[in-house]
Amino acid sequence: MADTHQDWLIEMEAESRSKQTKFINSISEKLRRPMVTEPPRHPFRGSPDFWNDYELNEEERIERFTTNFKSVGGHVQRLSTMEEVQRFIADKASELSAKYVIRQNQPELDELGLEGALPGAQVSVWNSDPEQHWKARAAEADIGVVIADYAAAYTGSITVLSSKDKGRSVSLLPTVLMAIIPVERLKTRLGEIMVHFDEGGRDSLPAGIHFISGPSRSADIENDLTIGVHGPGVVYALIVG
Amino acid sequence: MSSGHGHSDGATVKERADLALNNDFLRKAVKFTTERLKGGKLKATEEHGNWEEWRERGKQIRLHTIAHLDYYLNLFVDNARANGVHVHFADTAEEAVHISLSIAERKQAKSVVKSKSMVTEELHLNHALESIGVEAVETDLGEYIIQLAGETPSHIIIPAIHKNRYQIADLLSEDAGEKLEPDTSILAGYVRRKLRAKFLEADIGMTGCNFAIAETGSMVLFENEGNARMVTTVPKTQITLMGMERIIPSWADLEVMATLLPRSATGQKLTVYMSGITGPRRSADADGPDEMHIIIVDNGRSLQLGDPEFQELLNCIRCGACLNACPVYRHIGGHAYGGTYSGPIGAVLTPSLQKNVAEWDDIANASSLCGACYEACPVKIPLHEMLIYLRRRKIESGHGDKVEAIGMKGFATVMSKSGRFKAALKLGKLGQKLVARNGEIRIKIGPLKGWNSVRVTPSLPKKSFRDQWGTMEAEIRNGLKEMDPDMKNRMEAIVKDRANGGGHGHG
Repeated sequence: MADTHQDWLIEMEAESRSKQTKFINSISEKLRRPMVTEPPRHPFRGSPDFWNDYELNEEERIERFTTNFKSVGGHVQRLSTMEEVQRFIADKASELSAKYVIRQNQPELDELGLEGALPGAQVSVWNSDPEQHWKARAAEADIGVVIADYAAAYTGSITVLSSKDKGRSVSLLPTVLMAIIPVERLKTRLGEIMVHFDEGGRDSLPAGIHFISGPSRSADIENDLTIGVHGPGVVYALIVG
Repeated sequence: MSSGHGHSDGATVKERADLALNNDFLRKAVKFTTERLKGGKLKATEEHGNWEEWRERGKQIRLHTIAHLDYYLNLFVDNARANGVHVHFADTAEEAVHISLSIAERKQAKSVVKSKSMVTEELHLNHALESIGVEAVETDLGEYIIQLAGETPSHIIIPAIHKNRYQIADLLSEDAGEKLEPDTSILAGYVRRKLRAKFLEADIGMTGCNFAIAETGSMVLFENEGNARMVTTVPKTQITLMGMERIIPSWADLEVMATLLPRSATGQKLTVYMSGITGPRRSADADGPDEMHIIIVDNGRSLQLGDPEFQELLNCIRCGACLNACPVYRHIGGHAYGGTYSGPIGAVLTPSLQKNVAEWDDIANASSLCGACYEACPVKIPLHEMLIYLRRRKIESGHGDKVEAIGMKGFATVMSKSGRFKAALKLGKLGQKLVARNGEIRIKIGPLKGWNSVRVTPSLPKKSFRDQWGTMEAEIRNGLKEMDPDMKNRMEAIVKDRANGGGHGHG
């Protein structure tokens, strides 16, 4: 038995690697051919061609995103400037009497100046202090504020990528989610977003990539729609620009 | 409380967060949205279109991946390891359980929060965890309800479809130690509060895996509630149980699966959350697991490889569309199938995973061979043909009987003449209407003849479907009972909802 957890993990890895050979060999045997070690030709990779050509113009993208997002119970607001975004968030926070707000640690959000605009609430900035328990701060927050990395109009989805400054918890644990979508990041198809992950490759990927298409929901009790089961029950998409 | 965060010395996230205040806010917020939803009415959504081309593409991607499973699995494992994931292989359910328990013991875990995973159902992992004193909590709303009831899922997507709100209110009231009204928002609100606490204090988060992307070593989860995100964000250790066939090559291929799976499962354009997790948290990240394990499980899956009649079973993306389409499932409900997987996919998968000839006798017969399952399948698995292969193998191996053999010939004739089984489907539906009286099917005519008569013959296999399911046996002896009308109504509402392009999004 290993002394430390690290030793144990190393033991397990050795076991796993020797098991892997057997496991994969058995697959090749059952497929009745030698193990394939060169990338096979994949003629059907990704979506059909007709789909990859599909593109909506900006106004159509905004309209489609809005329709989709609203149809699942999300809210969409079209705003021209970050000043309007600030005002919108401040008004909603005061309307909902939010006490705790948490936001990602990004320059665009620094400039938003929510701290000054929300005198009644305590605004925390994700991972800005190593001593703080950030998951707890997000769990108690009434409102989480994030900037979308991408959005897809066809499915009404917001994409957020994790990093040191962008917590996965900020879009998940608060009761209300406010996602700011710079209009140039709004694409037509999911595939336009996913292509970045294929092209960038493994090294470029963050630990968490999340597509969010409305408020958390369930229909597990008698097919009766319930909102906000585990994730945010109120989600605002603020399209800016 | 008003003076900021002086409450942050607890050992768990739960103790450190100001949750009580948050809960008051929540109640208001939820009301706000549901009111808006009811008032605003769901807008009708446009049909996606070109569905046959999408199905064909989905099928080709799955065929290609399974045909090169050795290559793609190696690639996935290499990339996952490079991402910092600890990868394990389990030939059997026992091995997968052993590895999971070893990790839990090593981490001295007290509790595990789980998001929906059919693989862990195969393994009976909850019982195993409890046997070493680890609390295992299902966190999908429907799964939590049936865990309280001590039952198993009766539908792959809507696990608690067999319970009504009054039964659910009773279960949750007992759990809460106070009377909860049978109101959906009250019940769901209770589960949110209760499970929020569980998420925040759990040592391990356990998930299944919808897809694993070979080229980047990422695992992908589709869900609506946010519980799978909780499970992969909050606890310090993540364990993912993954069927060995869950692989797809690339993110580009994921777009196709993301097009097919939610539409087929719930009628949604996309589930509320689709998450791609690529390794444990990066060292500077402030959330996500410190340690991530992926256990790749065979448990009978590789038995289908190289079998021309059943290899396509591995293409299944677990959407549940075949259950909803199946007239037999709608009659007997999920529990009657006995295995982890119910409906047409279960009728084929359960005996195939076990390679148990005796099992074939009962479960493969739980089908009217109408072909509705194939029509519904987003990756075009010919389930109805597989059911015939199973019956044929049963007869070949001496487990069949003459009536069944004649019945099979009859089916073969019907099918060879009716093109795409549409006629048989209509006949089946009409037949059901004609023979069902007072909610029972007693008359042994037409396509049901072989089925019913086989089901009451005394020559049982050693360990039959019937032995395991006493109530089913009684039902069969008295003629098949119609599904509980409430449950049937709910299922019909779901199907109708889907036809409208809506879809509430279960789980």
